[in-house]
Amino acid sequence: MTALLEARGLMKRFGGVWALRDVDLRQEATETLGMIGPNGSGKTTFINAVTGHLALDAGDVLLDGERVSGRPTHRIAQAGMVRTYQAVRVYGRFPVDENLRIASLPHYERVGRRQPLEGVEELLARLGLADKRQAPAGSLTLFEQRRLELAMRLLARPKLLMLDEPVAGLNPGEIREMIAVLKELRRTCALFVIEHTMKVIMELADRVIVLVSGEKIADGAPAAILKDDNVIRQYLGSVRAFRP
Amino acid sequence: MTDRLRVPRVAGVVLLVALALALPVAVADRRFYAFIVGITFLHVLWTAGMNLLSGFTGLIPLMYAGLAGIGAYVTVNLVMSAGVSFWLAMPLGAVAAAVVGVVLGLPALRLRGFYFTLSSLVIQSALTLLFVYFPRFTQGDTGISQIPAPTVTLPGLGTAALTGVWFEETLAVAAMLAVLVVWRVTRSRWGAYLVAIREDDVLTEALGIDVTRFRVIAFFISSLLAGMGGAFYAHYVAFVSPRSFDVLTSLNIWLMVAFGGRGTIAGPIVGAVILAPIPYLLQDLYLYKDIIYGVLIVLVTVFLPAGVWGSLLPRLRARLGAAAPARVPGKEFV
Repeated sequence: MTALLEARGLMKRFGGVWALRDVDLRQEATETLGMIGPNGSGKTTFINAVTGHLALDAGDVLLDGERVSGRPTHRIAQAGMVRTYQAVRVYGRFPVDENLRIASLPHYERVGRRQPLEGVEELLARLGLADKRQAPAGSLTLFEQRRLELAMRLLARPKLLMLDEPVAGLNPGEIREMIAVLKELRRTCALFVIEHTMKVIMELADRVIVLVSGEKIADGAPAAILKDDNVIRQYLGSVRAFRP
Repeated sequence: MTDRLRVPRVAGVVLLVALALALPVAVADRRFYAFIVGITFLHVLWTAGMNLLSGFTGLIPLMYAGLAGIGAYVTVNLVMSAGVSFWLAMPLGAVAAAVVGVVLGLPALRLRGFYFTLSSLVIQSALTLLFVYFPRFTQGDTGISQIPAPTVTLPGLGTAALTGVWFEETLAVAAMLAVLVVWRVTRSRWGAYLVAIREDDVLTEALGIDVTRFRVIAFFISSLLAGMGGAFYAHYVAFVSPRSFDVLTSLNIWLMVAFGGRGTIAGPIVGAVILAPIPYLLQDLYLYKDIIYGVLIVLVTVFLPAGVWGSLLPRLRARLGAAAPARVPGKEFV
């Protein structure tokens, strides 16, 4: 069976540092994948590389069995792999509605006929933004902006949504709400989530990849990853580590 | 939502078109004023093209005058050396400028904002040197004089030179066409993309929009208008030299856009109409004219940062009870 996302032998180095070193990965259309690892371990580089923001030194990326590595970002986005950014990115000076209109235009252009903002009301209701449509996006709270970002991505009708730290900067209450939003979103498209907040990974991910210094050191169910000695030693840390 | 603005807008456009067509006739007997009207139309045309890049796409092309120069020199050479009709030479000159504009716009694919502006300044300087050092086509600093007026052949009426009030009317039509083109482009899906690119090109690309393609399109149309204006300028003024198309001309056109209101359709028209005649009208005050010009610009920059029209528009909308515009003009001085 073809995987939704397949990465084969991804290599990327910045000067003398390996950001990605022979990374292999498969994601099925039915699963949510999590990626964890220390700062600088290559997680964001991974997203940058597979979505075409960054040229790979070696390796192939396949989306639905089709090779997408080497294509420009917008073509990969059109093929169905869409990303968010660690620092929230919306058109801050434009109203929410205009943000959504711009985000929906490329898809609208491809399929024709449909109204640019078809289904947007239901989408905003799902994301709790229904009463914010006229507000400039920059005036929204961070949590609202993060949800707007999700709404904008969904209008592109993605197959796979790559989320780079979707709860960064949110408070514990908001994190809980965001987890609920993302859980519900899994019914619409596949998710790939980078997070430091283990709660998010534990609740959302069916499988977790652990990246350290650009190398994949573990790949398995969340519960198993938590018990993996190698992962504990290199990333999670543990009180046991301090015992002789 | 904007229905309440429809009637005033249509009325305004009709009034403006009527005024533009009537003005050359009204001052036809006083050639000096007629010439100022003609020059103003040329600047309306130029600012429309500049606005597409600096106002809507967020890139300030300081090689704009250089591109106008390419349009002018190509046209003049075709007409004077090869004997081609102006009406064929002018589009060719404009296309030449557009092609060069697209090529010279390529740094914009890598450089953003201020850095692109700097690179365009260097390109402008190189173009000016090019005009000076290829006297075979430009006659260098001496300039090309006695450029003939375009001729028009009407069936049954014979051939006549396009002069006087007819030339001003032609420039009025050309300026209106340029504004119409920019209006159509910016109100279309392309326009939404250009504005999105101005606001955040990385995000825009991530949404699946071909940023490179739309930048190139913007450069093509903008440079086409620059070259078209250059061709008309040469045959209207009947004299061109490298000085006509130096960096000060670029800055002046950009200033008119910012003065009137970048990223709006009417703003650059307002800017051109106010600023273009000043150097001529204040000729008797030649000692103070640059000071007056400068003070005017400083006042507008400080008190109306979005430009004259850009600052009045929201108030006008509020007075007419219409909703706020969907696209907010920029805060930074683009």
